[in-house]
Amino acid sequence: MKRLRFSKKKCIGCQLCGQICSATHEGAFVPSKARVYIETYYDKGGVLKYQDSYCTLCGICFKNCPTGAISMDGKILVDHEVCIGCGTCAEKCPKKVVRLRDGKSYICDTCDGDPMCVKVCPQNALTFE
Amino acid sequence: MYGYQNKVLRVDLSKKTAAAEPLRMDWAEKYIGSKGLAIKYLYEELKPGIDPLSPENKLILMTGPMTGTTVPCSGKLGVAGKSPATGTICDCSIGGHAALRIKYAGYDAVIIEGALDKPGYLLIEDDKISFEDASELWGKGCHETEAILADKYGHEYSVLTIGPAGENLCGMACITSDYYRQAGRGGMGAVMGSKNLKAVVVKGTGGVKIPNVEEAVKRILEIQNEDVLQEDNTFVFDWGTTAFLEACQDGGILPYKNFSDTTDPNWTEYNGEVFMEKLEGKRGCGSCGLGCGNFLKIGDAICEGPEYETIAAYGPNAGNRDPEAILKANQVADDMGLDTISSGDVLAWAMEMTEKGIHDFGIRFGEMDTYIKYLEMIAKGEGIGKELAMGVKKLAGKYGGKDFAMEVKGLEYPQYEPRGSWGMSLAYAVSDRGACHMRAYAPNEEVFAASIPPYTPEGKGEMVYKLAQHNAVKFCLCICDFWGTISMETMAELMSLVTGKEWTVEEIADVGTRVINIARAFNQREGFTAKDDTAPKRIFKEALKNGPAAGQKIPEEAFEDMKQQYYKVLGWDENGLLPDSLIATL
Repeated sequence: MKRLRFSKKKCIGCQLCGQICSATHEGAFVPSKARVYIETYYDKGGVLKYQDSYCTLCGICFKNCPTGAISMDGKILVDHEVCIGCGTCAEKCPKKVVRLRDGKSYICDTCDGDPMCVKVCPQNALTFE
Repeated sequence: MYGYQNKVLRVDLSKKTAAAEPLRMDWAEKYIGSKGLAIKYLYEELKPGIDPLSPENKLILMTGPMTGTTVPCSGKLGVAGKSPATGTICDCSIGGHAALRIKYAGYDAVIIEGALDKPGYLLIEDDKISFEDASELWGKGCHETEAILADKYGHEYSVLTIGPAGENLCGMACITSDYYRQAGRGGMGAVMGSKNLKAVVVKGTGGVKIPNVEEAVKRILEIQNEDVLQEDNTFVFDWGTTAFLEACQDGGILPYKNFSDTTDPNWTEYNGEVFMEKLEGKRGCGSCGLGCGNFLKIGDAICEGPEYETIAAYGPNAGNRDPEAILKANQVADDMGLDTISSGDVLAWAMEMTEKGIHDFGIRFGEMDTYIKYLEMIAKGEGIGKELAMGVKKLAGKYGGKDFAMEVKGLEYPQYEPRGSWGMSLAYAVSDRGACHMRAYAPNEEVFAASIPPYTPEGKGEMVYKLAQHNAVKFCLCICDFWGTISMETMAELMSLVTGKEWTVEEIADVGTRVINIARAFNQREGFTAKDDTAPKRIFKEALKNGPAAGQKIPEEAFEDMKQQYYKVLGWDENGLLPDSLIATL
């Protein structure tokens, strides 16, 4: 199964991944709603640090969903008809990449196997393999 | 129009009020954003003759329609006000992520007026605005300030801060963000300091809309891959601006010991390779794939940088070849919130003054321990630092050494020797904020690409105009200088994609010319004329001794000729003034 992979060494912190993700899924550049959130920052100016929230398709959200709203078949899909917004998935997600909004859960769907975040990543820090 | 938030946050520090108002779309149509639109607001709202350090001055943080989108290299924020260093209009362009966060908070611009009665900072969280106490932060360096605020709010917030230089109203004071990015020139940090404003802290959770987003995003991605991520631009990822050191050395325009000569036979002791060996990591600005920032460590010194300007200013122009001393001085200047270009020229001048026996400033070429100490003293206004903080123009007025005070209108020279690139002397002279290399970058044509002969006034008026027009458009779009291959056609296409209104190349080029004109009109209203478009006497009188440009000096009549060419192509009169008919179109 192909999955997102991230190389800290290559990341320059441009946040184009979150921008294009939100443009693709929400119709606007709104990184706070993006299903990938990667950024770099200087901790106290002296150490370059990374926040790397991206879906690794670990399946923990799928396994823990109490309503069966989450399916996993090469990608994660959330059935919003079934999702009750309990937040279990967000709580259990090791990468902190689940977004809860208006009582529903939003998770990376790998753009159906052709992730835009990978396409836009200018330094190939994000790959799908 | 798409791309814009159609909202300006107007902050009155005196009254401690903040209110959103509609963006003047009629102005945005003529000036787009960032540089142009900020200058238009200032031209309309500032009374002529005001003291730049009074509450009457305004500080504008201006984004553009592309800010916050995937348009490559669009993460820069315009920072503008009346300059305390020059008395001219001044706009800077700061990298990092602050521009994006202002836009995501829902604003095209933040206009800051008045002054706080005691030190404070402005906190913007979407539509929630508050004025916070900064008495604990006052006196602290930029780095400590940002670290304290990051601890308090988290790294999803951007911080724009000043250091002691800004607090002490030094004309060389920067505004800093992401620790190592600056609105560097013209003393915008002092404007913030005069308002008792230590920092602006901002987080935004909203978004930016453009039309036909799915197709537009695909086209923008094509432009990123086919235009931006090409060798002509990606050298800034591999080298950052350290690449210019070799180019300037080879081209004979690397200044040496306060521009007394050019080139350095031992330049490889501090060239790009030396610095890049010490790379700890790479970091860029929001929305930019080029990632020019080099995070380096040499000994105890740690800094994102040094940029070419700093290497040249704190290296050969200071008679120094020690890369660790360059990086350390860079780190200190960044922390103090001090412009490395201007401080470098001031100290180089002081070194020459001392060595020539005109006045003993207690520092000679190559004395880097004293140099680093002086940087801190300048920012803090302590001892001799208080004198040096005046800037080289006022210093030369007081102590002599005017012929080698490298400045125009009170802004110190960037590190490109104009005797090896005559068009640069014109670009420095007519730039809207004093000696600046970002308005028109002549060495590209005259030295690196060598497409135009460097040692002649011929055609330089037209050349500098075209370069300035191109950059003016770029900066209105918030696009970084380092997307060097961007064409007017691409800029017009991006404007059409983002705003949903069709833009032609002619329309976009007209914006560039209009921006040059309104900046000039602002300065004209302040009393600036052709007599202020100057060059230091050194470049007229002293021929370069070394390097490919050896033997070169610029005849004064050639310099005047270039100025008149430039005025003519813009439709200004012989005194460099805009006719009323042109002013009426602004």
